[in-house]
Amino acid sequence: MTATSFFGLLGCGLLCLALVATALRLDRFSVRVRQAVAVIAVVALFVPVGGLPLAAYLRGVTGDLSVPTLALAASACVSRITGRSLFAPRECSALLGLVAAAALFLYPFALGFTPFDPYALGYASIAFTTALLLATLAAWRAGLNLIVFVVVAAAAACLGGVYESRNLWDYLIDPLVAFYALIRLGAGAVGRTFPRRQS
Amino acid sequence: MNARQAVGLAAIALVFCGLYVRALTAPAAARFVPPRAAGEEKAAAPRYATQLLPNSSTQSVHSATALEIPGGKLRAFWYGGTREGASDVAIYTSVYSPKEETWSPERAVMTRELAQRQLQRSVRKLGNPVVGRDRAGRMCLYFVSVSVGGWAGSAINLTISEDEGETWGPARRLVASPFFNISTLVKGVPLLLSDGTIALPVYHEFLGKFGETLRLDGEARVVGKTRLSWGKSSLQPVIVPRSETEAVGFMRYAGDPPARILEIRTTDGGAHWTEPVKTALPNPNAAVGSVLLVGGPLALAFNNAEENRESLSLALSTDFGNTWRVARNLEGESLPPHAPVAEYSYPWIIQDSSGSVHVLYTWGRSRIKHVVFSRAWLEGGGR
Repeated sequence: MTATSFFGLLGCGLLCLALVATALRLDRFSVRVRQAVAVIAVVALFVPVGGLPLAAYLRGVTGDLSVPTLALAASACVSRITGRSLFAPRECSALLGLVAAAALFLYPFALGFTPFDPYALGYASIAFTTALLLATLAAWRAGLNLIVFVVVAAAAACLGGVYESRNLWDYLIDPLVAFYALIRLGAGAVGRTFPRRQS
Repeated sequence: MNARQAVGLAAIALVFCGLYVRALTAPAAARFVPPRAAGEEKAAAPRYATQLLPNSSTQSVHSATALEIPGGKLRAFWYGGTREGASDVAIYTSVYSPKEETWSPERAVMTRELAQRQLQRSVRKLGNPVVGRDRAGRMCLYFVSVSVGGWAGSAINLTISEDEGETWGPARRLVASPFFNISTLVKGVPLLLSDGTIALPVYHEFLGKFGETLRLDGEARVVGKTRLSWGKSSLQPVIVPRSETEAVGFMRYAGDPPARILEIRTTDGGAHWTEPVKTALPNPNAAVGSVLLVGGPLALAFNNAEENRESLSLALSTDFGNTWRVARNLEGESLPPHAPVAEYSYPWIIQDSSGSVHVLYTWGRSRIKHVVFSRAWLEGGGR
């Protein structure tokens, strides 16, 4: 197995674990049960079925997962298994806001409806790098450490060739986290516009 | 500034230094490598021969690709299986010996199971193969695979051979789209650029249908891309350079009538392309093949109809694609024998180092047909 496959499968395994932990609402159970379920899930994910580990089936559909997806998956795992929060709600909201903005910039154009292709900027663009640097410095200044961590980890992973892609976008965003961010922010906006009446 | 902030700032500085170095050292715009001069044809007399490639393995075949290997031989690849999109579809290869004028028995070089194991991800089916060489002369086989859904869920993979196609290294995935890396396919000839990178023509067919070139570095990693078209009606680009800076491209058309082959051009080595324009040649939403023959004429293999793939013709242009004349018909109603299914499609055309021109195409979905001819035959008038 190549290093890129190893990291890709690891990321998909983490997401699977987060989905299992969230679906089962593991935090309802005792610590021992939570840990046992987590261990069983991890083993099951990486045991070959039909010649492939289960995580590889998810990888076939999603591809390799971006750092924000992995950060949120890790946060969900930690929260459901240990009962502690990995990131402050303010940090998560800021990250999702940035991801949603990036998604609105990237996907409509990358799908080929215009001559402009922002995805191509992710290979090696001074302008794109500078824009990302400014955004990261603004986050650092505002004390939004999750964004700083995600960008630094994504850039380091891209430079290190952790995945098969050499495009920085693939480390910064994927459709899963993009949809999640847009839905969460959309739901939040609806909630603020139409607040529930207290009975 | 506390210690945590200082660490954060140092990390930002470090990784962005790396990103800037990467941006500053990225491959600069490259130029095309003009077509190499082929040898003089051994026989000045018109020569034309056809045969069906061996197929004892599969009921359905499609999408042939080929390149010349030492000894003046040709190695072809195609995909075959129970039917297009079936899980038993594999990529097959066969070698043509011009001396014996025969093709070797076919053998599978990539199966779905093998691709799945090597790519470490689920694979539902295999599709179009395309073959070329990298700067080290290694044979590069690009092939489409799908993990979920139809062809819109395609991704491109690459496997490399260092012994002219006898054995192959592990397949790996090329990442070309931010949307689950789906909807990228190959059909056109990969081009070696002057700096040793490769321009691989690809197309997308998810929500839009449009063409691009992927730039691959010496390690065959995608390091850039250029959009050839946009919208919902152009796909399967084939690019033909004639100098270091100038090239013409042809694309399959999937839009509203009139159905015509699309044409694009570049004069700066492929950095920028003109918007697609319709040529005078018809296109029934089908792939075309093109090659610049030694001495100048541009040859184009295409389905000479707007609505079906029942005829296959060769057109020649002496002004690099501005005007065309249909020189020969390879398949058509008046040309027996007919295939069980009247579909003659996905032509792949190359000129070998002896000057002979080879066209391989899908013949009735059941066989790959090989037509070899001399330029004298091609230019000799209607058949």
